[in-house]
Parts: sequence; structure tokens; C-alpha cells
Amino acid sequence: MTGLWAGAPPPGEEPGSRRAVWPELRDEGHNDTVLVVDDDSSILDTVSSILSGEGYEVVSAASGQEALAAVALKQPLVILLDMRMPVMDGWAVARALRNQGISVPIVVMTAAESAKRWADEVGAEGYLAKPFGLDELLTAVERFRGRGGRSN
Amino acid sequence: MLIFISVALRAIRQPTRAHTDMTLFFGAVAFVIVVARLAAVVGPMPPWLTAVLVAVLIGLPYILLRLVDDFTHVRSAIKRAAELGLAAGVVATYATAPTVPTLVTIYIVLYFFVVSTFCAVAFIRSARRSRGVTRRRMEAISLGSILLATDILISGLTPLAQVDDRAVLQALGQLLGLGSGIAYYLGFAPPAILRRAWQEPELRAFLARAASLPRLPATLDIVRELERGAANSTGTTARIGLWQEETAKLRFWEDDGTTIELEPGKHFAGRAFELQRPIFSTNPIRDNPDGAAGYRSRNVGAVLAAPITAGERRLGVLTFSAARPPIFAVSDIELAGLLADQAAVILESRALIDHAARVRAREEATRLKEDFLSAAAHDLKTPLTTVVAQAEFLERRATREPTAPADIAGIKRVVRESKRLAGLVGDLLDATRLEQGRLVGEREPVDLATLAQEVCLHDTSNAHVCEVDASAPVVGVYDRRRVEQLLQNLVENAKKYSPERTPVDVKVWQEDGEARVAVHDSGIGIPAADLPRIFERFSRASNVDDRRFHGMGLGLFICRGIVEEHGGRIWVESEVGKGSTFHVALPIADGRRLN
Repeated sequence: MTGLWAGAPPPGEEPGSRRAVWPELRDEGHNDTVLVVDDDSSILDTVSSILSGEGYEVVSAASGQEALAAVALKQPLVILLDMRMPVMDGWAVARALRNQGISVPIVVMTAAESAKRWADEVGAEGYLAKPFGLDELLTAVERFRGRGGRSN
Repeated sequence: MLIFISVALRAIRQPTRAHTDMTLFFGAVAFVIVVARLAAVVGPMPPWLTAVLVAVLIGLPYILLRLVDDFTHVRSAIKRAAELGLAAGVVATYATAPTVPTLVTIYIVLYFFVVSTFCAVAFIRSARRSRGVTRRRMEAISLGSILLATDILISGLTPLAQVDDRAVLQALGQLLGLGSGIAYYLGFAPPAILRRAWQEPELRAFLARAASLPRLPATLDIVRELERGAANSTGTTARIGLWQEETAKLRFWEDDGTTIELEPGKHFAGRAFELQRPIFSTNPIRDNPDGAAGYRSRNVGAVLAAPITAGERRLGVLTFSAARPPIFAVSDIELAGLLADQAAVILESRALIDHAARVRAREEATRLKEDFLSAAAHDLKTPLTTVVAQAEFLERRATREPTAPADIAGIKRVVRESKRLAGLVGDLLDATRLEQGRLVGEREPVDLATLAQEVCLHDTSNAHVCEVDASAPVVGVYDRRRVEQLLQNLVENAKKYSPERTPVDVKVWQEDGEARVAVHDSGIGIPAADLPRIFERFSRASNVDDRRFHGMGLGLFICRGIVEEHGGRIWVESEVGKGSTFHVALPIADGRRLN
């Protein structure tokens, strides 16, 4: 089923295989950057301010295009990706990243009931079902912290 | 003679007035013919026989008139006149016998001719009114009457004709007499085989249409078709009453569109329905005095009612009525049962089709409701995300660092998103009100130009330039709050879907007696394929990818509701990548409420 979606991982590529990419980053030093993508400015601001408060470096993007531009500038530790966005949606972002050969873990943020399915479709490592609480948000991001470099 | 014997046998088997009259009629004809034949062979007959012959001859048209009365209604004044004429003829004949003067002969011929012609006309009129097998019978009888009248006229004229022509005229007269006799026989007492042959095309036509009947748009259409088919097949008037569960009555549809509700057990239809067997009455006024007035006014002299039943399910009743009992044949009772069964099959198919349609509609409504609820939930969750996460974060901050300065930005977000939530809940309520058609309330004169200015100025984001183009006030009588909501929705949509710092233009003007508003943006536009559904409440076709769906789509749905409840129109012109223009036309004035 997931293979039908453009955003699905290519056959044979397990989500875990991404770990192979991260040692390169580790060489560069710690990476605490979280990219937050949402067309709803309130959610964008809220999530950004919470994660900033927790000591992450946050880059926020209000659209799919902005998200791709941000990734091109600096690969983040993880992308919190809203799925339903005008013009360029979450699927398009995931597809574009793969086409560029960029492997960054994605956590899908969505209010839809099909959150888990959509997460599978784009090969995401997790999902946050809106409305999510503070702890859910922090837990979802926390698990990637060790991967990008030294932990706080 | 053969016809006479056949008719007489039938009269012995079923002694009814019509059969007796038929026997009398054909007996008289046979007697006249036999005596005339004998006279031709044996020679002059005794005077008494001539007198009897003349009496019978004079009696013939009267018997014919009685037959007319047996099949259709004859006014009693006409019957009395015919009786008087008959008496006068008999008296005149006997008074002047044995030498009957020419004047009396002319009188008798004239009397004969007038009554026969009257009968012919009466049967032609009856044929026109009736259908199917009855029409054929009436046509045959009228033909018989025309032939008889012509025959009498020729017989009367024969003595006046040239001697050479008399033989020809006599032969012609005999031919006409024979033709008239056969036509009468076929009409008055058609043999079963002929009756069936007459019924067959009607039945065939009915059955041919039967298969398509259940798919007719309305049940009433089916009822009418069934009634027509049953009427044509039997040559009577047919009516169908359908059982109504909710009222526990049989409902009949009149030609003028009104309905009649009948309790089971009442009248013949109710009795046939209750007893679940056909009921035949040759004297409905006597058998059902309650309905006497109706039978008199509708000229009903015979009723046949058969229940329409599919298995255990009592669907209704099929009734046939005719002016006189002889319209019906014994086989019609059986035929009525078959027609009622056919009707049951058709109505049952219809019920199944209706049921399937109802199930489909219910499923569709459920699906729409589920889709709508899931869309509404989605839209509510977006502001709720900010409210929940931000409020928890604020709480934690306040607990951990009580002395830290307040996070004003975070608090503002909670307030803003809470208001947004309230707005969404309001939209949901509006959508519900809209479905009940009570979105628009109290109306008052409203200047749309001023209102548009207010809505434009209300802009808080400053991301767009909202400009109003209105040269003069445009005042109509509207629900101010709702029209403001309409303009707000349109302006906010325009801003939402267009790049920052692009202008949103609102134009207000008057045209063709209508107030017009146009809201133009240079935004992303709407794909042509989505345009037809843009004003509909979210209804997603099952083949549409649910990822492409954003929001409840309630804004424009409510806009359309506001406009339409004001008696106006709303439409959109759009091009992808170039922008959209939403147009509104509202009636300018409503005189009733202006004061």
C-alpha cells in the first residue's frame, strides 16, 4: 500500500538505515536543530517557542517551499512536518527531500485521523496527532536528540 | 334461430334482466323471420297471425330500448314515450285490422326508425365513453342498430318502390336484417372466444408495459398506469386503493388530484380488502346502501373489487365499476384476480426499489455526516493544538520560574486561538441553522457600501491592502449581522488565498435593481473542476484524495445560505494562479419591511 505513494520509502530502505547517515553529522559536532513546518502560524509559533525554551535550535517554515529552503541551508536533527498545507503539502516535501537524496527523520503533525497511515506513507519515524500536549511534543523530539550529536 | 337458442340457453343459466331482454329481442326477431319465411312458402297467412306479427314487430324497438337501458342509462321520460308510442301503434293496428291504412304503416315504420336510431346513438355515445372490450361491444351494438334502422326504412319504402326494384330492396333488407342480428349478437352476448380475442390486445399491451412500471418516478404514476391497464382489459372503470400503514386506511386518488381514504370493511373495496377475496355486485345500491349516492351520481350499476396481495402483505384493492352488470362477464372475476396479482407484483417491486433507494440515501447521508464530523473535528483540532500545548507550556513556565516575566506572545496565542475555536463552533451552529432555513433573522435597511468599508477597515493583519470602490450608498433591507458576516467571510477568504501585500478589492454598486458586491483577489485561484462545488457544504466524492481537502469548507456554504435566504445569488469567477472574484447580487428593496 505504501509503495503507491510517491512519499513512501524505496523498497529495501528501512527507516533504521538512516542512522548510517548521521555519523557524518556527528563529525561536524552536535546538531540540535529542529525544523517545524506548519501553515498555521499559531501552531508554528507555539511549537517553535516551546522547543526553543527546551534548548533546541528551531527553524520554522510556514510552507513546503520554505521547509526545503531551510533544509538546503542546514540539515536539521528532525523535521516536524504538517501534512495538509496549500500549494506544497507534507507528501510533496518528503518526496522532494528523497529526490534530493536527503535523509532527515520526519515526524508527521496532523489533525487527521489517518495520522499513522500518513506517517507510514511518507516514511516518517513518528507522528504527532493534533491536538498534542506539551509532553507528547517533547517526547517526540527528544528521541532524536542523541542521534544528532551530544545530548544535553 | 341459432342466435336465439344460444341466447335463450344463456338466459336459462343466468336469469338476469339483460339476458331476458336479449332472449325476448332475438326471439322476436326469429319469430318475425320464421313467420315471414313460412308466409312466403305456404302463402297468405291468417289475419290473426299477421296481427301478432305486427304487434311483435312494433314491440321490437321497445325491447331494444330496454337493452340500451340494460347496458347504459336511459332517461325514464324516453322510456315512457317509447311505451306510449308502442301502445299507440298496437292500438292503431288492431283498431284498423285487417286493412291497415298507409298512415298507420308509415307511423309504425317511423316509430321503429326513430327508436332504433335513438338506440344507435345511445350505443355510439356509450362506446365513446367506454374502452377495451366494452367499447368493441358497444360499437357492434351501434352497428346493429344502424343496420336495423336502415332495414326498417327500406322495408317501409319497399311498397312505394317500382315493382322491378322491390326484389332488390327485399334482398337488401334481408341482408341488413341478418347483419344487424349478427352485430347485435356479438355486441350483446359475445361468445367467450370473441371476448377473449377482444381483450387480448389490451392485456398484451398492459403486460408489455408492466415490466417498466416499477421504475416510474412516482407511485401515483404506477397506480394510474395499472388503473388504465385494468380498465382497458375489462372495459370498465378501474380504481386502485393502496393500503396506508400510518392511517390504517385504503387511499384512492381521484382524477382531480384529491384523495379518498377508506376504512377496511367499508364499501366493496374495503370489504374485498378485509375478506381478502373478490366481491362482485350487480346491484351496488342495494348491496351497499351507504354508497348509494355515489353510485347514483357516478352512474355505477355494477362493482367488482379484488384484493391486491403479495404473499402475506396486503397492498391494496383493485375495483372495477360499470354502468350496468352485463358489461361484466363471468370470466371478468377471474381476470380481475389476475390483474390484481399483476398489480401486486408491480407494487411490490416498486416497494423494493423504494426501499433500496431509501437505504442508499440513508447511507449517503450517514457518510456525509461522518465526513462532515471528521472535517469539523479536523478544523477544531488545529486551534486546539495551540491552546493545549501553549497553555501547558505557560503553566510549566509559571510553575518552574514564578518570577520570570509573563510570556505575553504565548498568552496572546492562547487567546487568539480560543477565539478562533469559538468562531468555528459558531460556524458549525450556523451551518445547522442554515439547514433549517433560519439563518437570516430581523432585517433592517443596510448600506452595503458603508458596511464594506467597515469590514475592510476591520483588517488586523495589515498583510493585505483592502480597498472599497463604491460611488454611492447601496441600501437594501437585510439582516445586518449576516450580511456583515458574508462580506467578512469573502474578504477573509480573499486574504487567506492571496500572497501578502497584494490588494483585495471590494466593489459595491447597483445594477438592474439589484445590489451588487464583488470581492476580488490576486490569489491562488480555484481549479475549474472545483468551481461547481465551491459553495457546497463539504461533500467529498469517494474518489477524491482526502489529503487535498483543507478545512470544513463551511465559510462559502454559509455565505451562500445568507445570500439565498435574502433572495439573492452568489457566484465566482476564478483562474488558477491569477485570482478569484466572488460576486454577490442581493434584491435591493423589500417594500414590506422598509417601513
